[in-house]
Amino acid sequence: MLFCCLLIPEVFSDVSELLQGVIFVADYATIDLLYVAAFFLGGLSFAIGPFVIVYFLSPRSTRNTKKKTTQLIECGIDPIGDAWIKFGVVYYLYALMFVAFAVDILFLFPAAIVYNKPGIVNDLQAFIEILMFVGILSLIILYAWKKGVFKWERKIYNHQ
Amino acid sequence: MGTQDLQPSVVQFAQLDKLLALCRANSLWPMTFGLACCAIEMMATGASRFDLARFGAEVFRPSPRQSDVMIVSGTINKKMAPAVETLYDQMPEPKWVIAMGNCAISGGPFVFEGQYGIVEGAHKLFPVDVIIPGCPPRPEALIEGILTLEEKLTGSRRWPRVEAG
Repeated sequence: MLFCCLLIPEVFSDVSELLQGVIFVADYATIDLLYVAAFFLGGLSFAIGPFVIVYFLSPRSTRNTKKKTTQLIECGIDPIGDAWIKFGVVYYLYALMFVAFAVDILFLFPAAIVYNKPGIVNDLQAFIEILMFVGILSLIILYAWKKGVFKWERKIYNHQ
Repeated sequence: MGTQDLQPSVVQFAQLDKLLALCRANSLWPMTFGLACCAIEMMATGASRFDLARFGAEVFRPSPRQSDVMIVSGTINKKMAPAVETLYDQMPEPKWVIAMGNCAISGGPFVFEGQYGIVEGAHKLFPVDVIIPGCPPRPEALIEGILTLEEKLTGSRRWPRVEAG
């Protein structure tokens, strides 16, 4: 509740004034740190809170007919064999490529702020610098290409 | 047979339980699970003409672990019964069962001397909360069944009762 109140601007400023009043030697860095801690705790409670609430409010057992509550497969049919089988990790490389470019996009935000320069000449300079930045990051593709990531080689395993 | 007794929750207050019952009743999540012709009526109930979303029960979950209500819609064959029981087992508490149509209630038209393929009613497998008669029941009947289940949960009816006729 208190955490939600921080999101409302008026309350937000009130709380900051309050904090400045309470912590008389605190500088802005400390207050910022307090905010970060509050948001961190809020996020953590959002993640862990549901588990705690469910633990206290849900029934402690489940009625069952055949003691199959913990069966993994959720279509009613009994699974054949073990869940511990080998499977191809071909797609994992593509996922890594995605992560590389996601980080690329993330880096673009601070770079765009840094290179936010007015004027024609500086605009061009900023454009070229960003282009170099992105170009260097784009070498990931060439590296991955060289490594043979883009070859979808499905290895056949013998399942037990 | 497994356990049929229900251990209550850790925290219990009357007013809180009433609130939880109200929340559960107004957001019933049925399982996407159909057995026979009644399932077609169930699909029609979820679709735009009868629109179960008006009653907060349109979220048909594809997994038993996310469902509140199992609408047993159709004939339970003896071959299918283990699968149905497994699905019932996998649903977390609180869970309710609606037996939709005559087959799920009592075996319906398949009951005769010496029949060996049909489970004669869902209550033979697990506890049933609401039964909806009909062969098959119309979508309005399924909606009425949902409302009856809500009434069972909260003790009060949310919508005016429509008299037959």
